Amino acid sequence: MFNAVNIVFWIIVLFIVLYPLWLILIASVSDPDAVLQAKVLVLPVDFSLMGYEAVFQYKELWGSYLNSIIYTVVGSGLSMMVTLAAAYSLSRKFAGKKIVNLAITFTMFFSGGLIPIFLNIRDLGLYNTRAVMILMNLVSVWNLMVARTYIQTSIPNDLYEAAVIDGADHFTYFFRCVLPLSGTIVAVLAVYYGVARWNDYFTGLVMLRDRSLYPLQLVLREILASLTSTGSSDTFFAAYADNLGGLQEALRKAEVAKYCCIVVSTVPAILLYVFMQKYFVKGVMIGSLKG
Amino acid sequence: MSIHDPAAPHRTVPKRRVALTVRRDWQLWVLLLPALAFFIVFCYFPMYGVQIAFRDYKAAFGITGSKWVGLKYFEKFFSSYYCGRMFLNTFLLNAFGLLFGFPIPILLAIMLNQLNRKRFKGFAQTAIYVPHFISTVVLAGMIYLFFSPTNGIINHLITAAGGKSIYFIMEPDWFRPLFIGSEIWQNAGWNTILYIATLTSIDPQLYEAATIDGATRWGKIKHIDIPHLVPIAVMMLILNCGSLLSSNTDKALLLQTSGNMATSDILGVYVYSVGIAAGKAQYSYASAIGLCLNVINFVIIMLVNAISRKMSDISLF
Repeated sequence: MFNAVNIVFWIIVLFIVLYPLWLILIASVSDPDAVLQAKVLVLPVDFSLMGYEAVFQYKELWGSYLNSIIYTVVGSGLSMMVTLAAAYSLSRKFAGKKIVNLAITFTMFFSGGLIPIFLNIRDLGLYNTRAVMILMNLVSVWNLMVARTYIQTSIPNDLYEAAVIDGADHFTYFFRCVLPLSGTIVAVLAVYYGVARWNDYFTGLVMLRDRSLYPLQLVLREILASLTSTGSSDTFFAAYADNLGGLQEALRKAEVAKYCCIVVSTVPAILLYVFMQKYFVKGVMIGSLKG
Repeated sequence: MSIHDPAAPHRTVPKRRVALTVRRDWQLWVLLLPALAFFIVFCYFPMYGVQIAFRDYKAAFGITGSKWVGLKYFEKFFSSYYCGRMFLNTFLLNAFGLLFGFPIPILLAIMLNQLNRKRFKGFAQTAIYVPHFISTVVLAGMIYLFFSPTNGIINHLITAAGGKSIYFIMEPDWFRPLFIGSEIWQNAGWNTILYIATLTSIDPQLYEAATIDGATRWGKIKHIDIPHLVPIAVMMLILNCGSLLSSNTDKALLLQTSGNMATSDILGVYVYSVGIAAGKAQYSYASAIGLCLNVINFVIIMLVNAISRKMSDISLF
């Protein structure tokens, strides 16, 4: 009895979770008229790839796509190196560690606020540069704590003592012993940092002015959120009217192209998660316990 | 045993040991340095810069060179017409979000733990994490598409059932349900992680003993699962209280329209609009508002933490 109720419960939960995603997917390969009349509910209607063909024309989208790949790959790589090195340090005992811990944790609960952060970036000469997209949010306190807990709990201290007897210093031990044993936490950090950067919208909104530097999410906003004060999506689509058979046709295709944009922008993040999923779930659990 | 422990027995031969420690530990500082530099430059520099909230900031004079005006901008903010409304909106958005959003991950974790079909359980666990990986912009876009008054699926269903089409995104009454509902859809699954980790760490012998004693499934949930989840749930609650005034600004910004301002006008968005987006940005004024928020949030989390430590021995620090 309990089992039956539980299965029904989960079928409802999974429906709520997955159906909106399914709707996006089937709408992206349907005919615009069917989508506009909300006839696309279970399976694609009048299957067509015209939405994707239109999206392929949106040069600005792909430019920002490339920008986001750069920010994500370079930024997350740097974040992971910095985080792992610091996490190792904090997993050992040394004079002054308490103060360092306190200083780092404090930033989790208190910050200068948006404007002082913005002015600081401007004073450093980082406003409207690619560097700001990489250096902002370089280290997340939460990720640092997760990585430290992981190193503390899953790498035996005996290994450290054996290494010390063999004459290893911290550098040798970190690079030769800790890193090779940290595959799981590397996967976790890659997903956390990678997805956060790929999906980040606010940093670019505040810190960038040139459209050529825009990350994907800023361009997506113009395509998707047509009611907000600054972005009218129609202007975006109208710019591609010549290549898409006139304004009328371009706007018609845009109704499906919006769904296609969601698909092409979201798939990388979800794929990263699915590929890393095996290590990921395990690593998050270890890192979060006692965290 | 730590050599820095004052109670360590070998206090009498510290000199060589200290030298040894320094020789070894400088490498730890080198490994720590990049992260430390980041926190100093990107977190502590702005904390120093927050003094512009008490000054009349002019870029030409810099942070310390601008004229000191004391509480001028705080007074300006607290006497402004929309101040009360913004505090209320921000608080209500977060309080309702916490009220509805907090229990669901706990429920999901308990129910997931009770699933005994391994493959289905694995699938369910993987699936409920997926919405977390969708960006805020896409989430807002989905809301615009699904809840559109003319061709959104929700309004088609409403009109098909004989109802009247609702312009959701322009209605003040619908801002909070949309914001919180989508938040739950996106993150309830993800937020189960901690609870699931806690449940899987429970000793299976406890369940076996309970079975022998004739406990029902519900009995085991009530007497084993829930008591184990309480400490971590209280910690999450404390953490969440620390952001009662600092909700997801970018999402609110994306969902704010001229129509729903009566409820969507929240402090974080206001700081952005007067300090960054406005043609003539008011840096000092916006900093003062931001500082108020951060101080209030900080005080709340410290208070809740202290109360919780007194009452239940559960605390963050």
